[in-house]
Amino acid sequence: MSTLNLNEDQQDCLQELINVAMGQASDQLARYLDTFVHLKVPSIEQVDAQSLSNSLKDEQMAVAVVSQGFFGYEGIRGEALLIYQPKDSDRLADLLGYEPEELSVEEQIIDLSSILTTTFLNVFAGQIDNQMSYSAPRLLSSTKSLVSEHLHQLSFNWDLALKVKITYQVTDYSFNCDMVLLIPESAIVNITAVLNRILDDF
Amino acid sequence: MESSILVCDDSNLARKQVLRSLPEQLSAKTQIAKNGEEALVILRSQNIDILFLDLTMPVLDGVGVLQGIKDENIDVAVFVISADIQPEMQSKVLGLGAKAFLRKPVKTEILNENLAKHGFL
Repeated sequence: MSTLNLNEDQQDCLQELINVAMGQASDQLARYLDTFVHLKVPSIEQVDAQSLSNSLKDEQMAVAVVSQGFFGYEGIRGEALLIYQPKDSDRLADLLGYEPEELSVEEQIIDLSSILTTTFLNVFAGQIDNQMSYSAPRLLSSTKSLVSEHLHQLSFNWDLALKVKITYQVTDYSFNCDMVLLIPESAIVNITAVLNRILDDF
Repeated sequence: MESSILVCDDSNLARKQVLRSLPEQLSAKTQIAKNGEEALVILRSQNIDILFLDLTMPVLDGVGVLQGIKDENIDVAVFVISADIQPEMQSKVLGLGAKAFLRKPVKTEILNENLAKHGFL
């Protein structure tokens, strides 16, 4: 099974690229919700295809999973999942409810997820001289069911999942969501090469 | 005159990015801190001219460091370098006495511009 097998420097490099991407994604979220978002250091975890379902045990009660494909140069591509728990989804609905719009809660969750995903990946890509394009975001689930079922529904072949635990604290409200990046073997090799290129610069 | 510089960031890469961006004409003795607590220990015991400070860090974050510097009347010019670019955060750190807010990843020309603006070049 493929993993990134990152050494300490590579892990630190990836963490910093992700921190910068997270910062800008949160800024977009803050603007969208017209509020201030308290940032925490995101935790990053590598999970192989076989154990992802186990690792997502906590998420098996997820009520909303928004999935969006991304494609960059040099074979960097994958699928980004944003996974919301019931309590977080409820809070999100409360938050979004502050600004009544014609959109349904489902549509707003898709919008919000897409803002987070595309901002995150655009900034991530920009730092490694890459550029992403995206497929349309899809809401995979709006009722309680297993996340693993949704994973099997993906036609996409992936070998590694990079799980980025994001915690946004929004003033009085706090909600969490997990961003999971599913990445194929070819892209893994390329990401490691990119990290080495950055580290060689120093 | 030699300036003493402290770079506080939990990321090794981010610290290197700052150190590499420092202009050559700024003759400097540089030290690093991996979190806010480490930075405050150094700031209390040594004279530091310039602190480059990250915000999102474990143990003690950048806002905590700025508060500590303010509470303990420590004389140091603080340049915040952060990925948390929300306008509210920028005004918060400037309100706590930071000289400038620079967004990550820091660019050499922006760093130089700000050092010059505050009389360090």
